Amino acid sequence: MSQSIGRSCDELKKEYDTCFNKWYSEKFLKGDLRPECEEIFKQYRDCVLNAVKNKKIDKLLGEARKDDPFSSVTENK
Amino acid sequence: MVKIFQHTFKYEYNWDSVTLAFWLRYPNPFASHVESVDVIDRYVDPNTGVLRTTRLILKRGVLPKWGRGTQTMITLTKNITHARLMQVEEWQTFRVDPNNREFTQVKTEARVISNFGWGLTDRVEGFGIKKFADSATKSRKGMSHVLEMIREKQLLRGRGFLTT
Repeated sequence: MSQSIGRSCDELKKEYDTCFNKWYSEKFLKGDLRPECEEIFKQYRDCVLNAVKNKKIDKLLGEARKDDPFSSVTENK
Repeated sequence: MVKIFQHTFKYEYNWDSVTLAFWLRYPNPFASHVESVDVIDRYVDPNTGVLRTTRLILKRGVLPKWGRGTQTMITLTKNITHARLMQVEEWQTFRVDPNNREFTQVKTEARVISNFGWGLTDRVEGFGIKKFADSATKSRKGMSHVLEMIREKQLLRGRGFLTT
């Protein structure tokens, strides 16, 4: 499994990725869209956003996320 | 100025495996420059049933990237640093091969935009496209490697060797 941007988030990432991969292949791909792994995702995400801030790339990331490139793609469907 | 690179490729694996491999693609032996991969946003849109993901990928030497995906799997990956020098936007669409449902078609389109100026723009864009074509080959090798691993794991599981 790949590493996290915040080394202290590695354990949370591992736990979350394992949960997501299982959910994706066993639930989502079979049509069950009910979300799982939300509690662990919250913890993992907080850790990552903290690391992003410490590395001072939070502003860059915010800028890059301003546009919503997929809105037109989804509307076309 | 914009330069465009287009490419279509077929993975001899089904769509489920290929899209799972997209999540699992790092680390792989063809991507030693990838330092970290994080999901910073992910949810299923309750109205459309579309899974939307934002990832932050840190790469050594080159540029951090981010990507998001929806159904039929459409992904956009772009650099967020050095964007003024060169912005690379890579769109990929993963679809079931119309001729064989066990295979997956991937269409790639990359746009390289540079605002470098001083007559260098064209050269920077040309460099970007060449670099992109090279790394696209590497990236396919990495995906194929992960897909082979998924196939092996599924075979083992089918034979009852793995319980997870």
